[in-house]
Amino acid sequence: MYNILALLFKYIFIIIIYLFIFSIIRLIYLDISGMKYQSLDDKAYLKLINRKDSLPFKIEEYYIIDKELTFGRHGDNDIVVKDPYVSKKHFKIVEDEDEYYLEDLGSSNGTYLNGDKIYDIVKLNDGDIIKAGQIEFLFVNRK
Amino acid sequence: MKRLLSQSPRNLLFLFQVLGITLLLINKGRATDRLTLGIVAGLILVIYLSNYILTKISKGDNYIFLITTMLASIGIIMIYRINEGLGIKQLVWISMGIILFFFTYFIVKKIRIWEKLSYIYLIGAYFLFLITFIFGDKRHGAINWVNIGNFSFQPSEIIKVLLIFILSSYYSNKERWKEFNKYSSYYLMGIVYSFIALLFLQRDLGTAMLFYIIFAAIQFIYEDDRKLIFINIALIVVFGILGYLLFDHVKIRFQAWINPWRYIERQGYQITQSLFAIAEGGFFGKGLGLGHPDFIPVVYTDFIFSAICEEMGIFTGIGIIMLFMIFVYRGFKIAIAQRNEFYRILALGISILFGAQSFIILGGVIKMIPLTGLTLPFISYGGSSILSSFTALGILQVCSEEIKSKEELDEAGD
Amino acid sequence: MKQEIKRIIIVLAGFCLAFISLIVYLSYFQVFKASTVKNNSYNKRLWINEASILRGSFLDRNGKILVYSENKDGTYIRNYLYGRLYSHIIGYSYREYGKTGLELQYNNALLNISENATLNELKNLVLPSTVGNNIKLTISHDLQSKARELLKGKKGSIVAMNPISGEVYAMVSMPDFDVNTLKEDWKAITENPDSPLINRATQGLYVPGSVFKVITATAFLEKENLDMNYECTGTANVGGYEFSDYNKKAHGEIDLEGALVNSCNTYFTTKSVEVGKDLILNIAERFLLNNEIPFDLPVKSSQFPYKGFIDKTELAAASIGQGKVLVTPLNMALVASGIANGGQIVKPILVKEIISNDGKVIRSNKTEILSTVTDPVKANLIKEMMVEVVNSGTGTKARIKNIKVAGKTGTAETSSGKSHAWFIGFAPADSPKVAVAVVLEEESATGGSSAAPIAREIMLYAINNIKE
Repeated sequence: MYNILALLFKYIFIIIIYLFIFSIIRLIYLDISGMKYQSLDDKAYLKLINRKDSLPFKIEEYYIIDKELTFGRHGDNDIVVKDPYVSKKHFKIVEDEDEYYLEDLGSSNGTYLNGDKIYDIVKLNDGDIIKAGQIEFLFVNRK
Repeated sequence: MKRLLSQSPRNLLFLFQVLGITLLLINKGRATDRLTLGIVAGLILVIYLSNYILTKISKGDNYIFLITTMLASIGIIMIYRINEGLGIKQLVWISMGIILFFFTYFIVKKIRIWEKLSYIYLIGAYFLFLITFIFGDKRHGAINWVNIGNFSFQPSEIIKVLLIFILSSYYSNKERWKEFNKYSSYYLMGIVYSFIALLFLQRDLGTAMLFYIIFAAIQFIYEDDRKLIFINIALIVVFGILGYLLFDHVKIRFQAWINPWRYIERQGYQITQSLFAIAEGGFFGKGLGLGHPDFIPVVYTDFIFSAICEEMGIFTGIGIIMLFMIFVYRGFKIAIAQRNEFYRILALGISILFGAQSFIILGGVIKMIPLTGLTLPFISYGGSSILSSFTALGILQVCSEEIKSKEELDEAGD
Repeated sequence: MKQEIKRIIIVLAGFCLAFISLIVYLSYFQVFKASTVKNNSYNKRLWINEASILRGSFLDRNGKILVYSENKDGTYIRNYLYGRLYSHIIGYSYREYGKTGLELQYNNALLNISENATLNELKNLVLPSTVGNNIKLTISHDLQSKARELLKGKKGSIVAMNPISGEVYAMVSMPDFDVNTLKEDWKAITENPDSPLINRATQGLYVPGSVFKVITATAFLEKENLDMNYECTGTANVGGYEFSDYNKKAHGEIDLEGALVNSCNTYFTTKSVEVGKDLILNIAERFLLNNEIPFDLPVKSSQFPYKGFIDKTELAAASIGQGKVLVTPLNMALVASGIANGGQIVKPILVKEIISNDGKVIRSNKTEILSTVTDPVKANLIKEMMVEVVNSGTGTKARIKNIKVAGKTGTAETSSGKSHAWFIGFAPADSPKVAVAVVLEEESATGGSSAAPIAREIMLYAINNIKE
């Protein structure tokens, strides 16, 4: 009785091991191509417009926005960017009742929304372009 | 369901462990005592949670821990199948290893003086060698083990890690050292060769080979004075030939590698039994519990891979090799992405360590290269090996995160 | 900075290559080497089944039992009824000394274990086997005994087979040993300088001497426009070395038949230069030299080791079966068979059938053509010449009254100074029933005087007593 079970299981074990290996390879591959495996369809996020390799500092292509997202040069921010034109605390985006709002945090060089410098808290719409220092983001909200 | 499985290796690992344990318990027949069931269930839970928690607390690599827990699982299942008592012990070692992993991770991450301790590493290494020679026991032909009261450990496992720290602290500050003394690279090489010589005296040829590979690789990448690399290669060729001609125990290993069938009763015995087991297994194996790993000598440590091939097939064996390959790849990727020089070389050293060690023992038991007595990381039975492997893994995990340099730390302060 | 990354990638590539080579080596091992590796008597797994299975018996072609196992007080005892006679063919199966001969080669059949591991497991789950299969050999026990009698006290080998079907009727190698007293005699057996453990018929490599001329003669016939006439003066200088005939006897004007009948060395050595090494090599390989011979026991390949350039003297020496040419007695029996069978060599067979315990034939070995050495016309010409060798040439001691016998003698010079005495042949020449090869190792007598009479007895007995 056990023998039949062992016979069957040996095939099952091998299948599981290879599924394991391939799922890891797949995840690594997805990481490399920059996409997180969560689907972005029902979330709000910032997409980097600049060419990643044209920037002399480390930065990602996508940043998902949860309740709050802070941007600046200081290590405590959600997005940390070593751009000399970016202030230590530059801007933040806040979510309130399914809408997203952009606020400048007193930056030296200012935060720009679609080309205009912002002074107050502004509501973000799908397709807006946010610029801080040398960085340009596209705000996406498909909801 | 399919999505769940294919998207999460963590879940696959869980399934694998559960099925494996179930099969083994059915095989046992008799009822299993509560304690064992408790430990087993505990470990499966710990591994699942560890993999999950790690993704939350560490911004670094998730995969290396995942791969090692899969390897460890295969190892536990096989060892438990061969010998229940050792299987339980291995469970305990792995649990301790995981704790040590997190412990090492936090310590190395918080305390930042590692690159400055070169001399301490050096003294530590020689001290451990001294202990080995004075208190050492001979097992399987090599003086490798030290017994303290009730418990024994392998100093070479610790020296392994110290070596990597020595190399990293040297090459991350090579300009400073060269300023200190023009020939410091030569001194470094001398020190490493002294380690190798001591290991050779202990008859631990496997670890000697391992040290050499780690050193040669790091030297190849970081040494500016390229002629040192050629000297290194020339020296090892000369020593290798001398070793073969002068020392019988080296000659025996070569004979056993080239034609074990002729010496099947003595020096060829181990490798031929290993080959029998692998040949009997075929591609899918005989099935867990249906093979005869009791015919394989030293099966818990060196030849665990042969037992795995016999009962779980060549496909599982190839799977294990692929897992090691992915692991080494991840390690190197971590190193390349790491901007801090010291931690980068550390990551490289650790990746090379695991890559070389697994290659040497795997190659040895399938007769691709001469056999040496190394353990297969995470899979072989053995406290020292497991603990030092998880420690190295913890260090590697730290290296996979972004290490802020001293300047950045200061800046973050205001 | 860039250089560092490049070097790191080189090291990484090195490791990946190393791991991939591990995978390749492992797979290669499993596909190509595994089955031979497994079949080693040190593999304890071969033995685990023994304790619970009644190992099958060996029978001769007429059903006479040669070896069987019986259950005595819970364990199985193996009885070797003729401990010396089949010591090389059947071999033995002991825990301490391992398995040899057919006991090793047919281990799975004798225990009724399937070759395929998976099939085996399934079978064992459903119906575990307790009784093995029996093996019927092609050997004729009476002929085998007779052959051993004829070789008694000498060193050497006899192989007798049917040239049309390939069935081996007798295969004897002397000296032999007693399988039943293996334990007691082990030291003496292994220290005996004459190596009784070796099966000379399949593993003994001997200088063939003049029996090789059958192959050379075939090559001569295949050469276009070769002048078959020759004036033999008893000696000939080829490439600076002087070859001579037996007692430097001059045979006068002879053709190919005359040369074969009188075993004239100078004829062959002189004309070999004209025929050329390539053609002779080609024909030798068609006669299975340099090739693996498929058989139920492992066979060493005979050697005609002249692949590159060789000078005239070497070629001449090779053409008369000297030099570096080495053959096994089995191979020479196949040479005779090839000529007997119209130029086609069949696969030699030792195991006729594998029969299950309840009498069903599970497997039987079929006749198979291994090689075509020449066309039937030329084979027939060689055959007639070989008949004349026995009628009036060096092989007259092989003559049988009222039966046409074909043959060739040989007296091979060796480095030890003691020559081997050879005879190969078949009978009846026009519809052959048996082909033989006899070699008396270091006999220091001519093939015609000492080997031929033995061959005669074998052929006569086989013709009269063996039914096909």
